[in-house]
Amino acid sequence: MLCEGKESCPFVEDSFSRFLSQSNIYGLCQAGEQELLAASLKGRVVSFRYQDLQQKIRPVAKEVQFTYIPVDAEIVSIDAFNKSPPNRGLVVGITFIKDSGDKATPFLNIYCDYEPGSEFNLESIAQSCLNLELQFTPFQLYHTEVQCEDGGSETVFLLSGHDQRIHLYKENASLHQFEEQPVEKLFPELQDLPSNVLWLDVLRIPGGRRLSAFGCQNGCVELSLVDYTGPEVVQSWRVQQDSPISTVLLFPLTRTGPGDPHQRADDIGYNLLVTSTIEMAVVYRDVQEYGVSSPVCLSESDKCDAVLCALVTDLDFDGQKELLLGTYGQELLCYKVKTSVGEEAGQFQLLWRRSFKSPLLSIIYLDLTGDGLRELAVLTLKGLHILQHSLSSTADLVLQRLADRLSKQTVGLEVQPNPELDTEERDPLSTDEQRSPSN
Amino acid sequence: MRSLSYVQRVSLDFTGTLFPHAICIGDADNDSLNEIIVGDTSGKLHVYKNDDSKPCITRTCTGMLTCVGVGDICNKGRNFVVAVGAEGWFHLFDLSVVAGARSDSSNQQESLFSDDQKPYFTQHIPANTKVILISDIDGDGLSELVVGYTDRVVRAFRWDEPNDSSDPSSGQLVPLKKWLLEGQVDSLSVNPGPDGLPELMVSQPGCGYAILECTWTQQGSSEEEPGDEAPPTPGSEGHSRDVVLHLTTGRIHNKNVSTHLIGSISRGSKGDSTKCGLFALCTLDGTLKLLDSSEQLMWSVQVDHQLFALQKLDVTGDGREEVVACAWDGQTYIIDHNRMVVRFQFDENVNAFCAGQYACKDGKNSPCLVYVSFNQKIYVYWRVELERMEPTHLLRVLDERPEFKAQLEQLGVDAGDTMAVRGLVGELLYGHALKNICK
Repeated sequence: MLCEGKESCPFVEDSFSRFLSQSNIYGLCQAGEQELLAASLKGRVVSFRYQDLQQKIRPVAKEVQFTYIPVDAEIVSIDAFNKSPPNRGLVVGITFIKDSGDKATPFLNIYCDYEPGSEFNLESIAQSCLNLELQFTPFQLYHTEVQCEDGGSETVFLLSGHDQRIHLYKENASLHQFEEQPVEKLFPELQDLPSNVLWLDVLRIPGGRRLSAFGCQNGCVELSLVDYTGPEVVQSWRVQQDSPISTVLLFPLTRTGPGDPHQRADDIGYNLLVTSTIEMAVVYRDVQEYGVSSPVCLSESDKCDAVLCALVTDLDFDGQKELLLGTYGQELLCYKVKTSVGEEAGQFQLLWRRSFKSPLLSIIYLDLTGDGLRELAVLTLKGLHILQHSLSSTADLVLQRLADRLSKQTVGLEVQPNPELDTEERDPLSTDEQRSPSN
Repeated sequence: MRSLSYVQRVSLDFTGTLFPHAICIGDADNDSLNEIIVGDTSGKLHVYKNDDSKPCITRTCTGMLTCVGVGDICNKGRNFVVAVGAEGWFHLFDLSVVAGARSDSSNQQESLFSDDQKPYFTQHIPANTKVILISDIDGDGLSELVVGYTDRVVRAFRWDEPNDSSDPSSGQLVPLKKWLLEGQVDSLSVNPGPDGLPELMVSQPGCGYAILECTWTQQGSSEEEPGDEAPPTPGSEGHSRDVVLHLTTGRIHNKNVSTHLIGSISRGSKGDSTKCGLFALCTLDGTLKLLDSSEQLMWSVQVDHQLFALQKLDVTGDGREEVVACAWDGQTYIIDHNRMVVRFQFDENVNAFCAGQYACKDGKNSPCLVYVSFNQKIYVYWRVELERMEPTHLLRVLDERPEFKAQLEQLGVDAGDTMAVRGLVGELLYGHALKNICK
């Protein structure tokens, strides 16, 4: 029996939208700032957002008719991104398998509208489709930003497949369409893969470098540090686990050294979270320093069936990130790193857990309601749950932080002349930083 | 329509079948914590306490139990449990004795225990009972028992006990009055009338209701009237005088459709100005209405589900009770006085439904939804509280706090500029996390 977390789940469910058919772990993505797209098996894509109506907000789940998805298609994965500036527009990618009886054919459809004014209009984007037939069964559709030769940046799709390869789709600006390009040119770390990649994550880090990690069907996890001038692989690590890897996630975390209470807030280490279907979830701490030699297990994360999805974000507004794991055993687990000085520092502790009615497939934390406070969207086998922070206690926190800031300002006003005040107002981060040690 | 998924539930074992009115929530043993009382068709009475899946008290009654109730029927300042069978056997149980004995002495004798199994009192009343109500119906401050019958008859009884008697069994039920109605009576309820005095209401087919007049109060000599229709009033005249039928207008497809009613819906502290009680009606063809006793329609809702049970429950904790209606297929509607609807889908067909304050966990009453399924289980969804009925976001909550506007003004942020306020809130909550993101 899994023990209870030491706190209770700080979220309350705001809405639940039931889907007609089930989805999978690649079935949820954020499209635009305040909208979600969820794909279900039977070829349906539902857009979810909050509608602002007469001083009231209302959750709206509406099916979007993406063109060129046949009725007998089964959607595998969906992803969306906003084009990197200076280009404008939302791009949605959907992979599906059309099973017309004798032979199943996989496709990748990329939706994107070039008409000025409708680049972000989902209805019109859904009507302009580029249809690419695939030679492999698709898995995760991922996007990331790459550095172009001309110095600008561009967002590309990366699609893993059952052919032990990752395929890159990049926009051809002159033709106004996406096309497959060799992956090794931009991602030398993603060639010669050991197995089929189930999950991929790329994180850009300062110093013109990036970390890429992928987890494979055979349990292999590979992590690479890449310099993107070139690009060339600086260093890479490989770990072999015993079961298929469900997610890999790279995330920054403040370094916590024992006996170092006055740590600097900018002392960031990069960590890799690996969840697998049988084993415990593992965080490899500070990979730039230690590679994969400093693993920390998330205790009890193997007690609720396979972990299918994960998310790392700050859920309690303290500036320190929490780890969320969603399991097939219908549990959402939240872990937090122990910052206390001592032997257990750096360990992850189960903070709270919440049960759901069906297995959890995907989690996204975004501001759906447009109030600056983000909501937790949880895709389960039966539908989409939107969990909201308790509004009254969050309002208390906002008011308290506002009051703190105002009192700082008045202090600043007495000591400093007015111009100083203005910079402080514009730069809230410094204010927060000043406050954090006193808390 | 806002939809939710409750997950915190316990399942209670219940092998048997029951009539829809043979379940209720009430304080059976006078410990200020509520129990669930269930009577089955074989005459077994089960009392469930907290999250224990087995009944803590079981009693055997004569005949097929059609309705159970809890209330101070004897006007002794404590609750008794009432179980009435279809054959007309009325059983009265004093369960506080059992509970007291259990806690006092663990080494009680078997014989004493088997003695306790017997009802405190039994009496035969006219057969074909369907629904009961224990409440003050005539405004004298004392509880009466009202019984609805399958043959469109409603009878009222009063517990009568010689003042000097110490023997509990010397009391008996004395018939007060019999009403004959035109249609089937599916529910009985009491609602404060326009003058603030209680009115006995019964539901009538086709979304109608009837107010039954307690004529004995006008005659002022209740002692003189022990027999039911003994005074030689002509039937038709008496009928028209005691039963005031009201039909509500609106979309009623079938004027014979089964209708349920619940009265005395609390308005909370805000409704002090009016004495009129609120009551709700629901029909099997999906009409829901909330009216006050001056027949003013507050709202009407049409749904696509067959509603067969109507309850009231304060889920927001503001003192105002919401209307809770349940359909055979498990779809449950919670509607507040402003017509805000929250839906919940219980995933099975429902045999019987009730809602109320039940002490399921933590030794305190919390709002619960209770579903009797067809697979020998009773599911109790506990802590179904909601922070609010309508979806809202943080900015609305903050707008209600006066200090927020003042603080914004001091910071020089225009409160009307939603984007600026949103940005500020996001910065206050996630500010120091933002600088860690290099993605």
